[in-house]
Amino acid sequence: MESTRNKLIQLLADSSEKYISGQLLSDELQISRSAIWKHMKELEKDGYQIEGKSNKGYRIISYPDKLSENTIRWGLETNWIGKSIIHKESTTSTQHIAHDEARNGAAHGTIIIADEQTNGKGRMNRSWFSTKGKGMWLSIILRPKISPLQAPQLTLLTATVLADVLHSYCNVQPLIKWPNDILLHDKKIVGILTEMQAEQDIINYIVIGIGLNVNQSKDDLPEEISHRATSLLIETEKEHSIKALIQEILTTFEKSYDQYIKNGFPEIKQKWESYGFKIGEEITIKTLKDHFRAIFLGIEEDGALRIKRMDGSIEKLYSAEIDWFEK
Amino acid sequence: MLKVEEIRELINLVDQSSISEFTYEAEGTTITIKKESDKQAIVSGLVSNVPAPVKQESVRVEAPVQEINEEPVNVAATDNTAKANYDYEIVSPMVGTFYAKASPESEKFVSQGSSVDNDTVVCIVEAMKLFNEIEAEVKGEIVEILVEDGELVEYGQPLFRVKSK
Repeated sequence: MESTRNKLIQLLADSSEKYISGQLLSDELQISRSAIWKHMKELEKDGYQIEGKSNKGYRIISYPDKLSENTIRWGLETNWIGKSIIHKESTTSTQHIAHDEARNGAAHGTIIIADEQTNGKGRMNRSWFSTKGKGMWLSIILRPKISPLQAPQLTLLTATVLADVLHSYCNVQPLIKWPNDILLHDKKIVGILTEMQAEQDIINYIVIGIGLNVNQSKDDLPEEISHRATSLLIETEKEHSIKALIQEILTTFEKSYDQYIKNGFPEIKQKWESYGFKIGEEITIKTLKDHFRAIFLGIEEDGALRIKRMDGSIEKLYSAEIDWFEK
Repeated sequence: MLKVEEIRELINLVDQSSISEFTYEAEGTTITIKKESDKQAIVSGLVSNVPAPVKQESVRVEAPVQEINEEPVNVAATDNTAKANYDYEIVSPMVGTFYAKASPESEKFVSQGSSVDNDTVVCIVEAMKLFNEIEAEVKGEIVEILVEDGELVEYGQPLFRVKSK
């Protein structure tokens, strides 16, 4: 069913402005004309506007903005990412689905999207705010042939992809808070969560979850987070197409990932630092047994946080709670 | 890393002191020395059918130091035969923070005594916001948890001791 409908969209799209006859569609797809008519009705439910004229045939007038496997696939010019798309109107978390799919052998580049998450996963399961149709909730399954030790670099790569898309496509000036939160005017707009299943020296799979606040108004954000979270609508004062953003993110991600696999981390590091939040400034670092002020110098060749303690010693950190806003 | 002589000296010092346990950490090397108290000696003497430790990595303070070339050096004198009764260590595949549970409110993935299969998730190690679910990769029983929730761990650092089945 899915593939017949995709072929149908493809045929209609290829003929663009011109009408394509029901007979021709029926021949090409090898289904009856009444079956074609049923597919057309389904497409209209998906938000496609299709014009049908007797003696002429059919043509698509407009594509829907609504999210579905079809609408995302349409116009997505990628080689491997998003070739398999799973869309849910509502789910507990796209990460949960992604883990299940990955365990069952889902291909590298499979994506999962949802209009709404009822139990979004943040760091340590802290829930990420997910209103229906207002945010973008995307998980990407990857099976990189790199060492598990390098895998954390993918979280930084993802952050640079999001920063690039927001900068070039939405015309805002994002900053990346190490390792991978995206800020606009010191408020969080994107959360990224990367989870890995690996053995000592081989990655089984990685799931990168991305939550982007798109069309939430100030009132949509819960009060307790409104002073540290924002959305594209709040920042740009206009609505944005989630479908277009997903396509833009996937295209940019694929390009960046392919370059990373080919050339390694240096290009990502450079880009990351161009967006780096508070580089050269003082931050407070907390670990289980320690609590100190230090200067954030930048990131290391492997993506770790490079800091200078007040005694002048330089350290690299892979994991720490950082207070970025303490004065 | 410490020289054999230095470890020997440490053992002597601990032996002569009143402390029962001593841990030394430097440059990725951890040395733990535990003394058997008299009371425990009696207990283990009574329970005569307790199997002997499988691995003689654990030594009494007077015994010659063994396997000092291995990192981390293990000079843990045992006070509990069950604890030493392990034959597999689950180690950290990366530098990062060790999490014993999925969220602060959740139950721990495993506790001492838990049975595990190859694919049982035993903990999460996080580095640069990449959360790595660590599987046991062995079938058996967790006999000892070597790190605490939220602790920083090194690449290759033992996290759990397992008695395989």
